[in-house]
Amino acid sequence: MNKFKTMAPESRRVLYAIAAAVALFLLGQAVHPGFLGLASVESILVIASFVGLVAAGQCFVILIGGIDLSVPWVLNAGAIVLTTTSLGLESRAPIAIVAALAMGIVVGAINGAGVAIFGIPAVVMTLAMNGIIEGLVLGLTGGFTCSACSSYAPPFVQALAHDSLLGVPDALLLWLVVIVLVTLALNITRFGRATYALGNNPRAAVLAGIDARGMTIMLYAASGFFAALAGILLVGFGGQASLGMGDPYLFTSIAAVVIGGVNILGGRGHYLGVAAGAVSLTVLVSVLLALNMPDYVRSIAYGVVILGLLLAYGRERET
Amino acid sequence: MQPDTTADALPRGNRLGHLIAQNIGLILAGAILLIAIVAFILIYGIEQQRLPGNFELTSTVNSAVPLAFAAVGQCFVVLTKGIDLSVGGVVDLANAMAAVTMGKSLTSGLVWSVVILMVGAACGLVNGLLVALGRLQPIVVTLGTLSIYQGLAIRVLPEPGGAIPPSFTNFLVNPNAPYALIFIVLLALAWSAFRRSRAGVDLYAIGNDEAAARALGVNILRTKIIAYMLDGTLAAAAGLFLAASATAGDATTGNSYTLSSIVAVVLGGVSLFGGRGSAIGAIAGALITTLIVNILFFGHVNPLFQSFYEGVFLLIAVVVGGVIGGTIRRRPK
Repeated sequence: MNKFKTMAPESRRVLYAIAAAVALFLLGQAVHPGFLGLASVESILVIASFVGLVAAGQCFVILIGGIDLSVPWVLNAGAIVLTTTSLGLESRAPIAIVAALAMGIVVGAINGAGVAIFGIPAVVMTLAMNGIIEGLVLGLTGGFTCSACSSYAPPFVQALAHDSLLGVPDALLLWLVVIVLVTLALNITRFGRATYALGNNPRAAVLAGIDARGMTIMLYAASGFFAALAGILLVGFGGQASLGMGDPYLFTSIAAVVIGGVNILGGRGHYLGVAAGAVSLTVLVSVLLALNMPDYVRSIAYGVVILGLLLAYGRERET
Repeated sequence: MQPDTTADALPRGNRLGHLIAQNIGLILAGAILLIAIVAFILIYGIEQQRLPGNFELTSTVNSAVPLAFAAVGQCFVVLTKGIDLSVGGVVDLANAMAAVTMGKSLTSGLVWSVVILMVGAACGLVNGLLVALGRLQPIVVTLGTLSIYQGLAIRVLPEPGGAIPPSFTNFLVNPNAPYALIFIVLLALAWSAFRRSRAGVDLYAIGNDEAAARALGVNILRTKIIAYMLDGTLAAAAGLFLAASATAGDATTGNSYTLSSIVAVVLGGVSLFGGRGSAIGAIAGALITTLIVNILFFGHVNPLFQSFYEGVFLLIAVVVGGVIGGTIRRRPK
C-alpha cells in the first residue's frame, strides 16, 4: 500500500484504468451472466484491439500535446487501399498491406510536417487532412462504386482478423505485441524520453538537443500508420471496406487515451493505461448491447461513464 | 505570447500599424470573405450568364445563419482557450425538440424557442461546471457531453420527422428574401456589447493568461461558466434555425456543426490558443464556409471531391494567414 502512495500519479492512473476495465467486466457478468465466458471475453478483446491500435497512434501525438482528427478517413483509406490493391487475391496481399501502411505513414508525416514546419495548430491540420483524404477516397473511388471497391480482403488478412494461434486470436496477439513494443519504446528508449520531454516542455526539449520537428513528424506518421493498420484489420474482420467505417474511431480513440490516464495536454501517461481504456470502452458498449439498451441510452451512458471515470481520477491538480 | 504594448505608449505614426497588427486576424478574415464573394459572383456569372439574384442571396444567407450562430458560440469558448466538441449535440437536441414541441402556431413556436434556448444554456452550464469546477480539460468534457446530448436528441426524436410551423419558418428563415441577415446583424451587435462588458474583458484576460487574470481578481469560474452558457444558448439557436429551414426535425443533421464551427472560427482569425480574435471574425468564417460550398457547386466540382477542396482551402487559408499575420506582427516598430 505504501508503494501505491509513493507511485507517480500517472502510474497510479494506469492502475485505475485497469481497475475500471475489470470493474466493467464484473458489472457485465452481474447484469448478464455468461458475460465473462471465454468466447465472450475473447470477442470483446478482439474488438478492443481495433480501438487500441488506433489509440496507440492517438496516444503518441497526444503525448506531445497534439491530436489526430484525421484518424477516421486514414483508417477508411487504409481499408480501401488494401482491398483495391489486393483485389482479394492472396498473391497480392503483401504489396497491398505495404501500400496501405505506407499511405498511412505518408499522410501522418504530412500532418506532422504541417504542425512542426508550418506551425498549423494540430486540430486544424488534422481536421483539414481528414477532409482531404475523405474527398480523395470518395472522389477516386466514385463514392465506393468502383469495380475494385467491392473486392474482399485477401484470405491472409481475413485470417489475421479471425483465426487463433494457440487459442489466442491473432488480432489480439498482434495487439499484445504492439502493447509491449509501444510501452518499451516510450519507457526505455531515447525516442520515448524525447517524446515525454517534448510534451512537457517543447522549448526545454529543443534546448536539450531534441529534434522537435523530426520527432513531431515521426509521431504523427506513427499515428497514420496505426490508423491504417486498424483499417487493414477491420477490413479483414468485416470482409469488405465500407463508407464511414472509420468514423466511430475518432472520438473513441481520444476517449481511450484520456480515460487511460494520459494528460490531454501532453507529457504524461502510459500506453498500458490507454490499452485498458480501450478495453473499458469496448466492455461498456458490450454490456449495454447485452442489456438490449436502445441507442440513446448507449450514447448517454457512454458519455456519463467517460465523464465519471475522468472525474474520479483524471482531474488536474488544484491551481 | 508577448504581452502587447498599449497604443498610447507608441509614437503617433505607429498607431495605425498597431491597430492593423492587433486586428490582423479579423482583417484577413474580411479579405478572404471578400475574395470568396467575388469568386462566387464570377463563377456564378460565367455559369449562369447573369449575376446572382435575390434567390441565391437568400439561400446563401439562410444556410449560413445556423453555422454563424454555432461559430459565435464556439468562439466564446475558444477565446477562453477551450474548445467545444458538444456543439453538434446541442444543435441536434434543439433541432429535435423544436420538431416535436412546436405544433402549428407561431406563438407556440416562439414560446418553445425560449424553452429550447434555456435547455441549450443548461447544456452549456453542465460543460462549464465540469470544466471550471471539475478541473477537466474542455476537449474531454465536451467529448463526453457530446455523446450525452446526442443521446438525448435521439430520445426526443428517434426518427427524422416532426413539424415546424410554417409561420415560424417564415419568421426565422424567410425563403423569399434574405431577412435572416437581420439575425446575423443582431448577433454582431450583441457581441459588440458583450465585448465591452466586464465579462467580455475577463474572457480575453483568461484566454491570454489565466494565472495572471486570476491574480488580477478575475472570477475565472463565473466567466468560464458564462462563456459555456452563451455557447450552449447559441448552439441551440443554431438548432432552431436549422429546424426552421428544414421545416422538420432530424436528430443527426447537427453533428457536422461541431467540426464546421471550429473551421469557421479558425477561418475567422480566432486563435485556438485563446485570447485572440472576435465573434465578428467567426461570423465571417461561417459566411466563407458557406460560400465555398456554393462556389464548388456552381463550379461543377464533383461533389464527391468536395471535402478534399474544403480541406485544401482551410490549410491554404491558415498557412497564408499565419505568414501574413506573423510578418506584420514581427515588423520592427
